[in-house]
Amino acid sequence: MALLEVKNLDVRFAVRGGDLTALRGISFSLDKGERLGLVGESGAGKSVAAFSVLNLIAKPGYIAGGQILFEGKDLAAMSERELRKIRGNRIAMIFQDPMMTLNPVLTIGTQMVEAILAHRKISKKEARAIALDRLQKVQIPSPEKRLDQYPHELSGGMRQRVIIAIALLLDPEVIIADEPTTALDVTIQAEIMDLLLHLCEQENVALMLITHDLGVVSQVTQRMLVMYSGRIIEQGPTRDIIDNAQHPYTGGLISALPQMGEPGARLFQIPGSMPSLKNVPTGCPFHPRCEYATDECRQAMPDYVQAGRVDVACFEVSKRIEQEKHMQEERP
Amino acid sequence: MTSPLVEIRDLEKQFDLSGSLLEQITFKDGRFQRKQEAVHAINGVNLQVHKGEALCVVGESGCGKSTVARTVMGLLSPTAGEIHYDGKRIDNLKGRDALPYRRKMQMIFQNPYASLNPRMTIQQTLEEPVRFHQPDLSQSEVRAKVQEVMQSVGIDPDWGARFGHEFSGGQRQRIAIARALAVDPEFIVADEPISALDVSIQAQVLNLMMEAQETRNLTYLFITHDLAVVEHFGTRVAVMYLGRVCELADTKTLFANPRHPYTQALLSAIPKLEDERPNYIRLQGEVPTPVNLPSGCVFHGRCPHANERCRTEVPRLIATDANVQVACHAVEEGRL
Amino acid sequence: MTTATVSRWDRFRESFFWYSFKRDKVAIASFIVLLLMVLAAVFAPMLAPADPYDLAQIDIMNSELPPAGLDGADPAFPLGTDAQGRDLLSTILYGTRVSLMIGFGAVLLQSILGVLFGLLAGYLGGKVDAVLMRIADVQLSFSTLMVAIIVGAVFKASFGNLMFGEIAIYMLIFIIGVAEWPQIARTVRASVLAEKKKEYVDAAKVMGFGTPRIMFRHILPNTLSPIFVIGTVQIANAIISEAALSFLGLGMPETQPSLGSLIKSGFDYIQSGSWWITLIPGLVLVVLVLVINLLGDWLRDVMNPRLYKG
Repeated sequence: MALLEVKNLDVRFAVRGGDLTALRGISFSLDKGERLGLVGESGAGKSVAAFSVLNLIAKPGYIAGGQILFEGKDLAAMSERELRKIRGNRIAMIFQDPMMTLNPVLTIGTQMVEAILAHRKISKKEARAIALDRLQKVQIPSPEKRLDQYPHELSGGMRQRVIIAIALLLDPEVIIADEPTTALDVTIQAEIMDLLLHLCEQENVALMLITHDLGVVSQVTQRMLVMYSGRIIEQGPTRDIIDNAQHPYTGGLISALPQMGEPGARLFQIPGSMPSLKNVPTGCPFHPRCEYATDECRQAMPDYVQAGRVDVACFEVSKRIEQEKHMQEERP
Repeated sequence: MTSPLVEIRDLEKQFDLSGSLLEQITFKDGRFQRKQEAVHAINGVNLQVHKGEALCVVGESGCGKSTVARTVMGLLSPTAGEIHYDGKRIDNLKGRDALPYRRKMQMIFQNPYASLNPRMTIQQTLEEPVRFHQPDLSQSEVRAKVQEVMQSVGIDPDWGARFGHEFSGGQRQRIAIARALAVDPEFIVADEPISALDVSIQAQVLNLMMEAQETRNLTYLFITHDLAVVEHFGTRVAVMYLGRVCELADTKTLFANPRHPYTQALLSAIPKLEDERPNYIRLQGEVPTPVNLPSGCVFHGRCPHANERCRTEVPRLIATDANVQVACHAVEEGRL
Repeated sequence: MTTATVSRWDRFRESFFWYSFKRDKVAIASFIVLLLMVLAAVFAPMLAPADPYDLAQIDIMNSELPPAGLDGADPAFPLGTDAQGRDLLSTILYGTRVSLMIGFGAVLLQSILGVLFGLLAGYLGGKVDAVLMRIADVQLSFSTLMVAIIVGAVFKASFGNLMFGEIAIYMLIFIIGVAEWPQIARTVRASVLAEKKKEYVDAAKVMGFGTPRIMFRHILPNTLSPIFVIGTVQIANAIISEAALSFLGLGMPETQPSLGSLIKSGFDYIQSGSWWITLIPGLVLVVLVLVINLLGDWLRDVMNPRLYKG
């Protein structure tokens, strides 16, 4: 059984003039110790997906259907009290902005001790020892000193290390990291990502990494899913997708990266932009920007098909697979 | 070699942190002391931008790259040093004298959500600069001009009556580019123009800027933190660290053979698609604050090749090849 | 983005402003009440049964008649009469008119001063900022009433009572307007400081636009929403200030009563049983101030930039 399994999750936002669908039939699973990447551009719904895994969507958003099974229990149907036992404890979260998690008027040590004591019945001294151990794990220089410092006394990279240390405090099963390095410089980003990867491997923690950076996904994750307009359009092993993307959107996204093009030449570009939730096109939401779009794409939502080890929702891909099958059958 | 279009000479810029005289005075060790602090954002930068090229300035946050851009555009006045445009000194021009350069030099900003006036329609935003700089144009000529630039950046001229917030980030950045192009500039400073945009939109905007460069014969000073973009866009690259240029080279050479240890680390930190694991040169420590600059080479505290000379003597930018200048004692001495 | 042009009216109807107004019953009710009061005040000369300014229509024999329904009421005076025999309904209608004129006039004056000084202080910064804001601090450290009492007394002494009656309304607008401008100036300055950091201002500078153009054409329109909110509340405050001054005998003369001076004139007779002369204009004043404040609250909620997303 998978550690975390999301089944057919629908999330909507109640706004004036009716509901907006933010997530549509999201299904994926995460095994123990597995590293999964959620990729998409802003508005694709990847952050909403991360928040809904913890049943943390703020009003006016709500879970309209589906299940979030964590060790077999449905988080979507749990009471707030039961959820609190899981959040921060079994499933930890790392946000893009460290100051969202850190309280500016408390020392790092106080905050870490508090987080432990909220879930464990141990003495303050023991809690402090755990806090110190985690700060050492994230390779912060002079961890003793950091315990008594305030968040503003640390640099951005150091703060993000503290956040990772806090996430690790209670030995979680899963870490959900929402764009953890977007606000950081590249050299710091590389260090933080490397650290996160090592810790997850070492402690056998599953990682759900939400990012827009395909390079980071390819370096850190084993499996990835690509989101577009609230839907997973492609999911499978990271290498398979990066090296041979099936969905035209994924392919376009990879080709649009400056590192993929000829230096000095025009970059590949996908026309248009992601539709807003208010006016998602009918059929496949990508069809207005897709060079392969047919009438079928404009009318119906494509189902998932298997292309090798990858699941794709695209009529063009399913047609191609059909053709390949025919070719093989015709061949004696 | 032809004379450069824009020349930055010995530029220095400091931001005073200490506030008014009253706030500077502190009582310490039994007597009053006056304490003055400043952020040393730029510490002696020399750059030349040649006609028709795209000079990229790359560096991490706090390296002073945006300050260079803003000083060149006159949004900040330099603490020391000079800015020359087409052979004329412009950093000390005021009012009417500066006006011709305001037309020749334009700027594209980072945040397309803040760079359009929320209370003005797109038509008003684009018409105002044209009217201001060419007051003798008739109403229909202004309209035609605005229509032309809107079409050239891929915005439907019929959308002129809309406000900025009705557009997506990519479309807003196109409109911001249109505003810069509306006054027919020769030189454009682009301060992180794509870093607030999504990946698929970044490509669109970069392509648009390259297209505009070809059709309008533009010269760019392109500020970015993203080295991968530079490889595509730049003719030459200047890498900055703590307010100094540490390497200046043409793009191909820099990517093929980075010389300065910082450039090497920066290049290695780009997450590449072909990598299955993070693969980068680890630097010690963190970027020092620009309030108390390190002595000698600003990079020495993090450099794996630093020695005594690096700690005391500031390295000068020295040409190692025809197209490469590096400010590093180790490179100069052949240790690296 | 299907239709190319959208009219201003459509834009308004689709706006958050209109949407939240439609859903807020308190705001709608307040607006209707305020609108009725303003209309009644504006068309007072047509609506009022008598002209309280016309001495020929006043008969001292009709003084202190109670409102309709009470003993001794005269059907010609539905709300009764005051001590001088004026029809109270007509006097209240004219009085509301005077109060509203002073309220709007004073806020107009303080907005002009406040916006101008706030813009200059916020945008130019440095010494200009320091000087203007210190003046504002000094101004604020005097209470409005104190300034008004001094200025009013000086005016009265130098022009005499008769002349004073003619210029009283302008004097009150001036006093209240000048006393309260720092409120608006501070708000404007704060928004200007936030706006001038935004890149559209840099873009305007890079275009070579002059300082006045950047200040008035680019920054000012973006600082208007807080002024709108404060201005609304300030109208209510100005009306109250005026009432208080009139009550102290430093406001409108009894020949052209405002709501405040009506209340005051009735106050002398409250012991003799003629409570209506004070109570009815008092109620009108309370309702007027209340609906303006309720509208101000609603406006503040709507224009809160954190809630308001284009």
